[in-house]
Amino acid sequence: MAKPASKANWLQHWPRALLAIPFIAALWVPSYNRIEPALGGVPFFYWYQLAWILIGAAIVFIVYVIETKVTRVAETARAQLDANGTPGDIL
Amino acid sequence: MTLNVTATIVFVALFLFVTWLGFVAAHWRKADLNILNEWGLGGRRFGTVVTWFLLGGDLYTAYTFIAVPALVYGKGAMGFFAVPYAILIYPILYLVFPKLWAIAHEKGHVTAADFVGDRFGSRYLTLAVAVTGIVATMPYIALQLVGMEVVIGALGFPTQGFAGHVPLILAFIILAAFTYTSGLRAPALIAVVKDALIFITIIAAIIVIPAKLGGYGAIFASVPPEKLTLTPPSGDSLGAYSAYATLALGSALALFLYPHSMTGILSSSSGAVVKRNAAMLSAYSFVLGLIALLGYMALASGVDKNPAHAGGFALYGPNYAVPALFLDQFSSWFVGVAFAAIAIGALVPAAIMSIACANLFTRNLYKTFIRPGCSDADEARMAKIVSLVVKLGAVVFILALPQAYAIQLQLLGGIWIIQLLPAVLLGLYTKAFNAPSLLAGWAIGTAVGTYMAATQGFATSVYPLAIFGVTLPGYAALYSVVLNLVVVFALSPVFGALARGTATKPVK
Repeated sequence: MAKPASKANWLQHWPRALLAIPFIAALWVPSYNRIEPALGGVPFFYWYQLAWILIGAAIVFIVYVIETKVTRVAETARAQLDANGTPGDIL
Repeated sequence: MTLNVTATIVFVALFLFVTWLGFVAAHWRKADLNILNEWGLGGRRFGTVVTWFLLGGDLYTAYTFIAVPALVYGKGAMGFFAVPYAILIYPILYLVFPKLWAIAHEKGHVTAADFVGDRFGSRYLTLAVAVTGIVATMPYIALQLVGMEVVIGALGFPTQGFAGHVPLILAFIILAAFTYTSGLRAPALIAVVKDALIFITIIAAIIVIPAKLGGYGAIFASVPPEKLTLTPPSGDSLGAYSAYATLALGSALALFLYPHSMTGILSSSSGAVVKRNAAMLSAYSFVLGLIALLGYMALASGVDKNPAHAGGFALYGPNYAVPALFLDQFSSWFVGVAFAAIAIGALVPAAIMSIACANLFTRNLYKTFIRPGCSDADEARMAKIVSLVVKLGAVVFILALPQAYAIQLQLLGGIWIIQLLPAVLLGLYTKAFNAPSLLAGWAIGTAVGTYMAATQGFATSVYPLAIFGVTLPGYAALYSVVLNLVVVFALSPVFGALARGTATKPVK
């Protein structure tokens, strides 16, 4: 029973791997420590990092939406199996 | 400095308004405030929107609004590390804290020490977590006063002698009174006003000030070029690169271990609320980035050359940059709004921090060690009294000691609080580690982190770590918590084997 459960867990949580992206972007300092290309007079160093706040938020939001959907699909499937008299942990 | 009458009237009016709000909050979602869960966590019923205001008001403190632009003003690009830090906190919030929320909700935990104590069954580990939380938070509360003191001084109130302290003492009596009566409901309600004022101020600042200074291009052009980017690595030192990255990562890891963050998170009504906020709070991070840029605007507008500000800079150093900028660029009534935003921005976190300390003291020191059998009403009464003592302590701290001590202690606070990471984080996912090894890791991490800061004369938390002939200047908190983790991983099997050898059942 432990194995299928952890498999379901993995299926449900794989989108979390996406959360590594903001870490790489924010901590890879040499990739953004420059002035050009400037945006409306704002050096790259500044507008790029500000943009990443928004991209990071978008990534967190996407992960949230996918996870909620996957959880709902898994729960519906389990509920259906239960209704059919099949043991729920077959998933 | 002469008193700016218009600004002071607006400032005082807004302050009185939130005071009234703080007392009214006791009736909001009315419940029995003689229970700690209600007084100290708002009954765990805050939904997505209230949590957004509460956490936003909690995490972005008055000191942030003053100190981050001051750092950019003084040190340039290095001060911008607050931005990658603000990028990283939300994935961490999303990954870790809904799980902690679920466990805390199920078992009725009010503090991180409750959770750790329950998970590892050790009173001493509980003690370590609680004491670290309280000791790291006290100077943080004191720093809120520094933020408030700077804007009160900038309004033109006298700053010398006892008369100079009166406004600050008044502000704190008000804060203490409404926290005592309304608990966490007060800062939650006031946070809405605080956020509105902050957003109005910042939007006005990023539109009005650049227009007056000739646009963003002109602002950045007036900044000395060596300040605009980080110094690249040279020779055998990674220089500013490793410092910038480790400061961002270390600060992000430490943030949610602070008791006041935990209080904000646990007061929400579900794990999904925490997850949604992990995406939505980024609006606040963006504003923080813009606030950081105020440092350059101050530089570009030449606030330091205005003789009217000489006294302010002499007294508060670079922390005076943003108030001076507002005084120069805004009309008087709007200066009142902006300064009220900063001062109220100090009230909200200070209230939550004192509640969080009170929760820790009552649950994990008083109830665990002094009076194990106390009633719910006793518990709540004790917490209310402790919240007063904590604030009194912060006021005495600010009035009796040089301001530099508060800043140095805050810097140490970050190093100390991050040492709770192994117990809280590993405790969420596994029981493979045991209390003695976590305690050993905590003690060694705390000692080494403090030593690293001491070698720098407590002036900076960046420690030049030398490995294999390469110097990696980096945040002492991050270096010491890595050592802490190594100790925990190394000693856990040893203590585990010892425990199995001496007893057949787990040690309680």
